Amino acid sequence: MSDPSKPDLEESVNVTEAHERVLREAAAAARENRLSENGREPVSLWVLVLCAIPVLAAGWALGNAGRLFSYKDTVKDGYVRIIPADDDAAGPPPKEALAAYMAKGQKIYGKCIGCHGPDGKGDGNAYPSLAGSAWVNGESERLAMVILNGLNGPTSTGKVFGVMPAQGAGMSGDDLATLMTYIRNSFGNKVGDVVTKQMGAAALEISNARPKVGTAVNADELNADHLKNLAGDSLDPKVMLDPITLEPAEAK
Amino acid sequence: MSQASSQNPAIDAARRAEIDRSLRHPVMFFFTSGAAWLAVAILLGIVSSAKVHSPGFLDGCSWLTYGRVQPAHMNALIYGWGCQAAFGMLIWLMARLSRQECRAAGIILTAGHVWNLAIGLGTIGILAGKGTGVPWMEFPVFAWVPMLLAYAAIAVWSMVQFKVRPAGHVFVSQWYVLGALIWFPWVFATAHLLIHGFSGSPLMANAINAWFRSGLLFLFFTPAAIAAAYYLVPKITGRPVYSYTLSLLGFWSLAVVAPWAGMQKLAGAPIPAFLPYLGAAATIFIAVPAIAASVNLLKTAAGAWETVVNSPSLRFTVAGVVGLLVLGLACTLLNVPSFLPLSQFSLSGYGFDILALYGFFSFVAFGMIYFVVPRLTRREWLFGGLIKLHFFLSIYGVVTVALVALFGGLMQGGAQEDYKQPWENAMTYAYPYAVAATIAWCFLLVSNLFFFLHLGLMWLRLGRRSSHPTLLGDGHHGDLHDGTHGPEGDIDNAGPGSAHAH
Repeated sequence: MSDPSKPDLEESVNVTEAHERVLREAAAAARENRLSENGREPVSLWVLVLCAIPVLAAGWALGNAGRLFSYKDTVKDGYVRIIPADDDAAGPPPKEALAAYMAKGQKIYGKCIGCHGPDGKGDGNAYPSLAGSAWVNGESERLAMVILNGLNGPTSTGKVFGVMPAQGAGMSGDDLATLMTYIRNSFGNKVGDVVTKQMGAAALEISNARPKVGTAVNADELNADHLKNLAGDSLDPKVMLDPITLEPAEAK
Repeated sequence: MSQASSQNPAIDAARRAEIDRSLRHPVMFFFTSGAAWLAVAILLGIVSSAKVHSPGFLDGCSWLTYGRVQPAHMNALIYGWGCQAAFGMLIWLMARLSRQECRAAGIILTAGHVWNLAIGLGTIGILAGKGTGVPWMEFPVFAWVPMLLAYAAIAVWSMVQFKVRPAGHVFVSQWYVLGALIWFPWVFATAHLLIHGFSGSPLMANAINAWFRSGLLFLFFTPAAIAAAYYLVPKITGRPVYSYTLSLLGFWSLAVVAPWAGMQKLAGAPIPAFLPYLGAAATIFIAVPAIAASVNLLKTAAGAWETVVNSPSLRFTVAGVVGLLVLGLACTLLNVPSFLPLSQFSLSGYGFDILALYGFFSFVAFGMIYFVVPRLTRREWLFGGLIKLHFFLSIYGVVTVALVALFGGLMQGGAQEDYKQPWENAMTYAYPYAVAATIAWCFLLVSNLFFFLHLGLMWLRLGRRSSHPTLLGDGHHGDLHDGTHGPEGDIDNAGPGSAHAH
C-alpha cells in the first residue's frame, strides 16, 4: 500500500483504520450500491404508441386554438352556448323560413317515399316523377288538390300512371304547407318560395268545398277550377323562424 | 459519479459519509420542518374539505372560514412541505452526484429558517384575512421577496457544486436537479413580479397565475421528484437505468413543453383565444415526458421486485412513479377539448393538484427521506411497522382524494353544464365525493402524524444503532440480508469496514 511518490510517509494503515471507523459509524453510506452506467435498451414500439395517444390528443386541442399567436381574437366563435331567454322554449336556434319549412316537410314526405321514392323520381312506370313536374312546380292550388284528394287519369305529362290515393286524411294545413314547400324545393326543383301555413289552411278549405268532395281529382277539373296559387301573404324565405312553431323568431 | 469515483469501495464509502455529514443539519431541518408543515397542511385540508359538504362546520370563527382555510391549506402544502422537501432532496442529490461536500451548511440552514419564518407569517396572514386572493400566491405581499432570497441562498451552492464537479458523465438526475433549480426562480419571480410587483391588467394577472401554478408543478415539483426517482431506483436495485434514449426523451420533452402549459384554466375568458388551447395542448403533451420517465423507471425497478417490496425508500418511490404515470393520463383526460369545460370550475382541478403534489411528488419525497435520513443521522429507522402504516394509509388516502376529486369533479362539471337545472343540483352531485375526500384526508393525517413522529425521533438521533437497514419484508428473515451485513442483532460494530477483522 506504500505510495511511491511519498517514500518517507507510511500512511495507508492509518487511512484504512480511519475509514473503518467512519464506515462503522456510517453503515448506511457504506452498504450502498454504486450507480451503474445508463442502460442502452432501445425504446420499444409500445412506448412510442403510448406516447402517440397524448400527441394526437394535443393536436386535437391545438386544432381548437384558431389562429395561433393572434392576440386580437379574444373570443372563440361558438364557445358560448346560445340559450333562449324563455326557459320553456329552450329549443334549437332559429332557422331561415325556407329551411325550417323544408325540414318539417321532409319528415312528412316519409308518407310519399313508398311510391315517389327518396329521390322523388318515382319509377317511371307505375309512379310518376316529382322532379321537374309542371304541376309540382306550377300553381300551388293545383298541387295541393292532387295531394289532398289523389289523382285519377293523366298527369302533367299526359301519361296515365294509375290512381294516386288521397293523402288528405289527418293532414293539417301546416303539414300540407311544409310538404309542398319541401317537394317544390327538392329533387332538383327550385321554386324558391314558401307555401305558408295560411296557404295550407286555405287549401284545406278549397278542397272541402269541391263539388265532388271525397273523390280524386282529374286533369280536367284541375285545369278548370284550380289553376291558381293559394291565397295568403307570401313569406320571405330568408326570414328567421322558430323551427318548431314556424312562427317568426322575433315574436318571442 | 461512477466514472469519477475511485475504485476502492472503502474510500468511496468514506467520501459519501463525509458528504452526508456536511449536509446533515440543513437537510434534516428541511425534511423535519417539511413533515411538520405537511401535518399542518393536512389538518387545514380536513377543515376546508369538511366545509365543502358541511358549510356549518366551525363557521363561528372568522379565521377558519373556507376562503381562508383553503388557501392556507394549499400554501402550507406547497411551500411548507413541498418546497422544503424538494430543497432537501435537491441539495443532497447535487452534493452526492457532484461528489462535493457542502461548504455552506450554515448559510443554507439560516436561509431555511428565513423561508420558514416567511411562510409561517404568510400562513398566519392568510388566516387573519390578509391573503392576496391569488391562488397559490395568497401569502401577503411581504412574503415573496424573502422567500426568493432564501431560495437563492439555498440553491446557489448546488449550482456551484455542479460547476466544480469532477469531469465525466453527468447522471440523469443531475439534469433534472439543475432544471428544477433554474426553473423555480424563473417561474416564481416572474409570476410574483408581474402580479404583485407591477399593476397590469387583472385579467392577464389571472392568466399569469394559471401559468404559475402549472409551472410550479411541472417545472419544479415534477423534475425534483423525477431526479430523486432516477437516483433512488438504480441506486437501491443496483441495476442500470433501463434506457438512456428514454431518459433523454423524457427530459427534453418536459423542458420544451412544460413552460407552455397552464392557461387552459382560462378557456372562454377574454384573453387571446389561442392561449388556453395552446396551454391545453401543452398540458396534454406532458403525458409524453411522464410516460417516458415512468416507463424507464418502472422497467429499471421491474427486475428487482423483491427489493421494491422490502425497501421502504423504493416502495414509496415506485408508488410515486406509478403516480407520475397516472398524472400523465390525467393531464390528457382533463384537457382534451370535450372535457375541458367540465374540469374548469369543478373539484377536478383540485384533484389534479393533489394527485401531482401528493400522489406523485410526495411519495417520491418520502422515498428520498427514508433513504437519506439514516445516512445523515447514522441511525436506522426504528419501526418497519410505522413505515408500512405510513405507506398504506397514504396510498388509500391519496387514491381516494385524487379519484374522488377527478371523477366527482367531472360529474359536477357535467351537472354544471346542464343549465336547465338549478345550480344546487351540481353541488348535490359533488356531495358524496366531498364527504369521501374529507375521510381520505383524515387517513392522510394519521399517516403523516406517525411519519412526523418517526422522523422526529430520527432527528433526535434516537434511531436504531445498527448496520442493518430497516426493511419491510415479513419479519427479519436471514434471506432479507445479503452477506455483507452479518446476522441481525449484530449492533454497532458490523459493516464492511470491520468485516475482515473477524
